[in-house]
Amino acid sequence: MTFWKILIILAEGAGYTILVTIAAMVAGLAVGLLTAVLSRLHRKYVDIFLDVYKYIFRSIPVLVILFLVYFGLPGIGIRVPPFLSMVVSLGLVSGAYLAEIFRGAMAAVSNNEMMAAEAAGLKRTQIFSHIILPQMFRMSVPGMINEFTSILKYTPFAYTVGIPEIMKAAMTLAAMTLRGLEIYLAAGIIYFVIYKGFIMMFAAVEKKFHIPGLLVE
Amino acid sequence: MNVFLNDLIAYWPQILMGLKNTLLLMAVMSITGFFGGIGVFYLSISKWEIVRKWTQSYISFFIGTPLLVHLFLMYYGLPRLGIHLSAFTVCVIGFTLNVSAYNARYLMTAYRGLHKSELDAALAQGFTPFETFRLIILPQVLRLSVPSLTNQVIQNIKDTSVAFLIQYPDFFTQMQEIAAVNFQFFKAYMTAGLVYMAMVSVIVVAARKMERQIALPGLQT
Amino acid sequence: MALIEVKNLIKNFDGKNILRGVNMELHEGRSKVVMGPSGCGKTTLLRCLNLLIAPTAGQIIFKGNDITRPGVDIRRLRQDIGFVFQHFALYSHLTVEENVTLGLRKIKKMKKKDAVEKATYELERVGMFDHRNKYPAQLSGGQKQRAAIVRALAMDPAVMFLDEPTSALDPQMSREVVTVINKLYLDNITMLCVTHDPFLAKYISDSIVFMHEGVVVAEDIAERLFYDHDDPRIRQFFLSVIDHR
Repeated sequence: MTFWKILIILAEGAGYTILVTIAAMVAGLAVGLLTAVLSRLHRKYVDIFLDVYKYIFRSIPVLVILFLVYFGLPGIGIRVPPFLSMVVSLGLVSGAYLAEIFRGAMAAVSNNEMMAAEAAGLKRTQIFSHIILPQMFRMSVPGMINEFTSILKYTPFAYTVGIPEIMKAAMTLAAMTLRGLEIYLAAGIIYFVIYKGFIMMFAAVEKKFHIPGLLVE
Repeated sequence: MNVFLNDLIAYWPQILMGLKNTLLLMAVMSITGFFGGIGVFYLSISKWEIVRKWTQSYISFFIGTPLLVHLFLMYYGLPRLGIHLSAFTVCVIGFTLNVSAYNARYLMTAYRGLHKSELDAALAQGFTPFETFRLIILPQVLRLSVPSLTNQVIQNIKDTSVAFLIQYPDFFTQMQEIAAVNFQFFKAYMTAGLVYMAMVSVIVVAARKMERQIALPGLQT
Repeated sequence: MALIEVKNLIKNFDGKNILRGVNMELHEGRSKVVMGPSGCGKTTLLRCLNLLIAPTAGQIIFKGNDITRPGVDIRRLRQDIGFVFQHFALYSHLTVEENVTLGLRKIKKMKKKDAVEKATYELERVGMFDHRNKYPAQLSGGQKQRAAIVRALAMDPAVMFLDEPTSALDPQMSREVVTVINKLYLDNITMLCVTHDPFLAKYISDSIVFMHEGVVVAEDIAERLFYDHDDPRIRQFFLSVIDHR
């Protein structure tokens, strides 16, 4: 079996890897965005709830959360399918990190601009959607890319719940052929290609939406 | 709950050993990763372009590929070349390569924000380039990177749980075994989660304390 | 009847009396400038008038209605007041044109085409049309303030409030902005401006209100107030701000 052949076999698992990555990213963004909206309410109990959520999901390893969701929840009568377990776990974890990134970016939006919008007679919801959100997203791009990288880094965990992604394909192949060295090297290459592909896509998106003077940090 | 508590007590020595292994791995990789990060950072600002390029590729590769792949490659792949490494050794090597790449990137970011005129001043004063690195660049860059570097230590303790997948007897492996015996998966993983939270909290408190101690007036990110 | 009538306006904040009974009137088509030493309450007054700050007591009659009473539609009121800030406060993610059209589209509910047409007209008035596609970070200070003035003016407000519009600018750029505001003055736009800058005050006002420690102590035309006033507090203030070279 040539190295090329190994690459092709493993690449078949890449579809699931990409699917898990995108689904988790979308889930994470949705959760992160929700926390951003909720934090604008400035309600004490909401803020405490958000802090607790962020603290929990930034402190417990992804693998432990995934096992809790997939193997643990059935114990109290909740059965979560493999793919959903993976997306929920990764989504909640990256949502907690994105919440922090979004919070920092929102704090960087100029108070003067918000006061100007208020003085012009824009509604609070309009100020949020037309002034705060567009700036927050742009300033969060580097943080979002880091978060995406973390998600990709954790997707191999999907094999532990039986999702046939790259790692699962690699392990099966390794068990059959005993050529672990080439196979895991090939897996590494495929992951790196996926990583580079996503990074290039992000760079293109960032360039398209780039605004002079709207700097990060 | 009683059954589960009894099991926790019965397996206490094993759990304790697991915790010890987890903390050992975390401590070792945090230290090797710290010095590794400084080394990689040194190479990444080398005056030779070829060195800078290779260092960038190294950083990019280890950030862009999952840690698990590196662990599997060494643990399941290397024996084919007649190299048999223990799970612990594989973890230390794999994590060190990985954490060094991340730490080097944090230091790079801080380096970009440095006043380059200070470096010219040091060279003009007669310091060698290495002395400039050791006495001017490093003390500032390390201070500026403290929040990122301590976050990485928190990341490290969480990531030790990955070692369970190559049979390193860490804390999570022990909790896994208890669950396999009494089938109380939910309680086992909840307990594991709480213990990780406690460990992270200790690091957070220690890190904040250290940040205050080594802060310099006017030097901020 | 006055467009704005302020009666015995009081604002206490953190145990300090910032406004201690301000009385003032502004008639349609007239322009007034409020001057006074730092901390005299002039910026607070301006912000109270469009309820960015809630006054503690007193009345503000705007177009015949007391807007300090509960149940006032604050957003409706603010649409009638164009506000120009010291630090421009342009929306940094929007181009100059988009800064102008955002309010037209979202508040006045204008169609995009009409909003752009209106923005074009107003931008041309102050010589900013060529810069319409630039982002705030790409403009000089004077250009930023001109864009901010257009953004407020395009809403066709009943009155323009200007809060130290030139104090963040160097003299050259400041002159550029004074020219623009002077043009509005000559067009009989109703204005209320707070400033330290006697040059600006002289060229854009019908009369100048002098405030001291939270009350209005004098109101007169520029020449009399600047050079020839009995009140020592006023003489001292203008001695310090007017460049007598």
